[in-house]
Amino acid sequence: MAADILLTFITVVFALMVVFSKRTVVAAFSLLMTLLSIAMIYFQLGTVFLSAVQVLINAGAIAILFVFVMMLINLENFTNNREKNKTKLIIATFTVLVILGVLALVINNNIETLSLVNLADNSMKALFEKLFTTYYLPFEMATVLLLAAIVACVVIASHGKKAEEKQ
Amino acid sequence: MLEAIIEILLKTAVILALPLGALPIIIHVERRGAAFIQKRLGPNRVGPLGLLQPLADVAKFMFKEEVHPSHVRPFFYTAAPVVALVVAILPLACIPIFAPIEIFGRSVYPEVFKSDMGIFFAFAASALGSYGILLAGWASNNKYSMLGAIRACAQMVSYELSLSTSLVAMIFLYGSNDIHVMVAEQTGYWFGFLPKWGFFLQPVAAMLFLIGIFAESNRLPFDLAEGESEIVAGYHIEYSSMKFALFFMAEYIHMIALSALFIIMFFGGYSLLPGMELIADRIPASLAILQALSLIIKVASMIWFFVWVRWSFPRFRYDQLMNLGWERLLPIGIANLIVTVLFVYFRNH
Repeated sequence: MAADILLTFITVVFALMVVFSKRTVVAAFSLLMTLLSIAMIYFQLGTVFLSAVQVLINAGAIAILFVFVMMLINLENFTNNREKNKTKLIIATFTVLVILGVLALVINNNIETLSLVNLADNSMKALFEKLFTTYYLPFEMATVLLLAAIVACVVIASHGKKAEEKQ
Repeated sequence: MLEAIIEILLKTAVILALPLGALPIIIHVERRGAAFIQKRLGPNRVGPLGLLQPLADVAKFMFKEEVHPSHVRPFFYTAAPVVALVVAILPLACIPIFAPIEIFGRSVYPEVFKSDMGIFFAFAASALGSYGILLAGWASNNKYSMLGAIRACAQMVSYELSLSTSLVAMIFLYGSNDIHVMVAEQTGYWFGFLPKWGFFLQPVAAMLFLIGIFAESNRLPFDLAEGESEIVAGYHIEYSSMKFALFFMAEYIHMIALSALFIIMFFGGYSLLPGMELIADRIPASLAILQALSLIIKVASMIWFFVWVRWSFPRFRYDQLMNLGWERLLPIGIANLIVTVLFVYFRNH
């Protein structure tokens, strides 16, 4: 129990540092620490495979790319450029409230299933059986979302290129 | 409870002592090997055959003045070498050096972190290896360091992909991700003489993995992160004395860990070398020692291979490196993975 609380506390502190840190690279490293502490929470819950994958993919590849890009474009010259914009503030508050509401609904409706996750059998086979049967729809939704994101990236990148060529 | 704690502490001591104790020898072999390949003499003055040279080097590193440049970011500058070394040692926690044995009525596992997901953990830990370099490059606040860090980072992320495809192919082939099962699958002989090593089953995956570990450990021909002729010394340009030594140690330990993983997947891990069965059959009690010896001999040969390659090939150019990673190795890796999956499917049905 104490370990759970400590890990959650660490995760939240680093997550807050991601948002409020003034130096972008520090924020990126805080993001890495957040991902690692989430991996530790998985480990603490007994899902060893998820924890390893979290470190391997999120911390080992995705966070590295974040740090990489931030170093490459040297964002440090752009510190303290947060605009105090009223419309932005309203939109941000609205988004946060909507996300919190959705999360509250999800947790409230699934509190029994969430606490019933079978931790005795955390083998890869059990995990993927769950993923490809019970949770197949959310899994596919996530893949479609990722595909849309990739297509969007390609469109944005190629659009910029065309504009450059015209000039 | 107390027994378990003592066991874990002992194992931790062993996995820390083995690679750290082997380091001076490896560095000596590297220098003498380089000299041998280049027709030089190499360090041969301190002690017999120059064997005490590494000790002299350590003494020098200890007593050298530590230069702490004024333009660095102090916290990250100090943290970087420590991060590099710790992350390099971590994968060793999951690598078994002999099969589980019975001591005083309780079965003892050789690895500190016993889990059937061990191999994923070892990979996850070695994937974090680029953070030490990235931190060092950024914290040094120096153009050359920065370039070195960026190169290292791009290179490691690119080659991790082909590394993972060959890892997944081997896991499919062995039907398990437990290291002990993988080694058991590779014990024995085909036609009575050819060891059942994964290398003979999957030479393509083995080559991909081999190239991948050279890139991951930033060794020549992939040492663009250091590239003396282009960016002086890359990410550790601002580091001196013991801090530099930590980076040096991290590089070699990373090499040992990745070689051990390669040996486990493609050369039978701790399975006995041909000929050792004769001794093991006569004296069953010596099995664990022989297994440890086999693994150590195999890893040592890999290290010699690293040295051999380092002094035989020139460095890649950066665009060649990226093309090789993304346009050659990754498609080959994915094709190999698909072929392996089909093969395993038809074998099992």
